[in-house]
Amino acid sequence: MELLKELTGLFAIDWQTVVMLLIAGVLLYLGISRKVEPVLLVPIGTGVLLTNIPLSGLLEMGKDGAVLAEGVGLFALLKQFGIATELFPLLIFIGIGAMIDFGPFLQRPYTIFLGAAAQFGIFGTFFLVYWLGQGGLGLLPFDAYQAASIGIIGSADGPTSIYVSSILAPALMPAIAVAAYSYMALVPIIQPPIMKLMTTVAERKVRMTTSAADIPQRVKIIFPIATILVIGFLAPKATPLIGALMFGNLLRESGVVEQLSATAQNELANIVTILLGFTIGGMMTGAEFLQPWTIAIFIMGIVAFVLDTAGGLLLGKIMYVLSGKKVNPLIGAAGISAFPMSARVVQKVGLEADPYNHLLMHAAGANTAGQIASVTAGGAILVLIPRFFGG
Amino acid sequence: MLNAFWVVVVGMAIVFASLLVLMLVMAGLGRIFKPREEKQKR
Repeated sequence: MELLKELTGLFAIDWQTVVMLLIAGVLLYLGISRKVEPVLLVPIGTGVLLTNIPLSGLLEMGKDGAVLAEGVGLFALLKQFGIATELFPLLIFIGIGAMIDFGPFLQRPYTIFLGAAAQFGIFGTFFLVYWLGQGGLGLLPFDAYQAASIGIIGSADGPTSIYVSSILAPALMPAIAVAAYSYMALVPIIQPPIMKLMTTVAERKVRMTTSAADIPQRVKIIFPIATILVIGFLAPKATPLIGALMFGNLLRESGVVEQLSATAQNELANIVTILLGFTIGGMMTGAEFLQPWTIAIFIMGIVAFVLDTAGGLLLGKIMYVLSGKKVNPLIGAAGISAFPMSARVVQKVGLEADPYNHLLMHAAGANTAGQIASVTAGGAILVLIPRFFGG
Repeated sequence: MLNAFWVVVVGMAIVFASLLVLMLVMAGLGRIFKPREEKQKR
């Protein structure tokens, strides 16, 4: 009997195993059958499935906690080399940077402020979680570091969420990553009600003039370099993230390394997505994930997205007034970093109010600005939390 | 909670200030590298 307990996982099954295997099934069903973010949910779901098989040893470290040792589990290895080092999110950002065209933003530079305003969800959620947690009411178990990690879900950016939370609160990272990616996919459901609540029909009908000015290629080449320098010097902790993002963009815009740009957008992005998703799933054991605070993380994640959208819309409305009703406030909602989903949502809501009002390119400007803003906000959080809360 | 308040205020200030500087830099570069045809028209 004792031998059977050691040899098979059947006797080690508990309620957490059952629940996590069900969760794995749900993730795989959503990804494969319903095609909801399959690129992420299939690797994550498979990781969850594997890691929750009892006695698999996939998360085991070597002797004395060594990583490069005999018997180290696959997920332990991937976690140490890809997540603990922040390598995977940075590599993914190279691919993302190579995919992004900052042209719509460069044609409408004022949209950069909409990107900034839409990061309010990060800071607002941090404040709220800390107030509900150890900083105020004590209803939640979170300290400032954990509150900031939960707030970073509001970056609406998977790599930034993983990067910041793996530094500030590594234990919460898997839940935060799943929440961030899930809500990014749910932007078409989360944002429209807020957009309609905060704007009038008349405001949504505002038609914005289309800028015909082409951006010189030299400007597009200098842009990633300038961004690295400006953001790097003003928010140094954001340098790895903004550096990776802009490196990818430079590969795209330089025009002399098309093979590298293509590799970054395709092979690199796909390989790291496989490893990142697989590892995140592999870190989701029942003992870590099935905690009361996981539900709190998911609830506050929605709050972060709501505050993001509200922040962007509020500045959009201010711009609407200050511009003499020439700026459609809806584009403020695209200031969150969920690219390109949020821009498409703005386009859709705008068309509902006026079938001939195409806001996509204006929203795309705000959306890509939001990408830069979310990385900057992540860097700011990494500096401010240790500064104000010690550690 | 005061520290949390400062994180919010200073954090948003850092984001806005950084992006303002970036916008000014890009506006300046846009003027410098404006296509010749446009400069000649002026």
